[in-house]
Amino acid sequence: MLLALLTALLLAGLLNVFGQRPQTSTADSETASLKVYSPKSLRSGLFFESRFTIEAHREIENATLVLDPGWLEGMTLNTLEPSPIGETNRDGRIALELGRVPAGTTHRFFLHFQVNPTNVGRREQDVELHDGETPLLRLDRTVTIWP
Amino acid sequence: MDLVLRAVVGFLFVLFLTRVVGRRELSSMQPFDLILLVMIGDLVQQGITQNDFSVTGLVLVGGTVGALTVVVSYASFRFPRLRPLIDGEPVIVVQDGKPVNRNLARNRITEGELAAAARQDRIGSIEDVEWAVLETSGRISFITREHARS
Repeated sequence: MLLALLTALLLAGLLNVFGQRPQTSTADSETASLKVYSPKSLRSGLFFESRFTIEAHREIENATLVLDPGWLEGMTLNTLEPSPIGETNRDGRIALELGRVPAGTTHRFFLHFQVNPTNVGRREQDVELHDGETPLLRLDRTVTIWP
Repeated sequence: MDLVLRAVVGFLFVLFLTRVVGRRELSSMQPFDLILLVMIGDLVQQGITQNDFSVTGLVLVGGTVGALTVVVSYASFRFPRLRPLIDGEPVIVVQDGKPVNRNLARNRITEGELAAAARQDRIGSIEDVEWAVLETSGRISFITREHARS
């Protein structure tokens, strides 16, 4: 009985219940598609990377990623590449201006984090892609940080 | 997922390492052997948990090591052919009062160490020993001629 319980726990670990394998979330619109490749389960202390891939079907003059505060709450942001041309606050969310993305091209953007040891629980990590101030598409994500 | 897999690799590596290092070294626990074990433990821990500070990580790694210990123990019990691979085999190091030098050399035991082990069992001379066996635990068992006859 106890061994079965232990085996179930380890199977859950192998099935990525406790992190940290990244998963891809995708959103698509007429103007662009957005893929976010990032873990949805994490544990305190872990280093991880989030990759944002924007494929422009039509030209985007000023591609801007608008991130929920949950992306940075209790996280240490080690680096972000390529550096955004602007970083602003947009109604309590973090807006990263990536610049022009011509039609038919791909823009990849990386964020490197470490989970702070005191960070525990579920956090909203929604992502919106805007062209300037105009929303193009939205991705709903949640990350779970295990204690 | 990665954590469980890394714990499996770490466990198998330590199992392999204990077989390579040898039972005598591990059971004697000289200061150097003790420090070596602590060093190995520290290095293995870094490789397995990396930067993980979580209790979840502790539970997963501890659980994996515990479960594998049960699996290896059961495999050794259920499949006798695996026993030499997992636990090793007892080795005769003295026969009819004479050291078996080939087995002593294979286990890196000097005649001086053999005599010291015999003295710890209150045996004054190797010539009084009928059989001495290096057990899988690393301990040497002595059967004196006197006991062998009775």
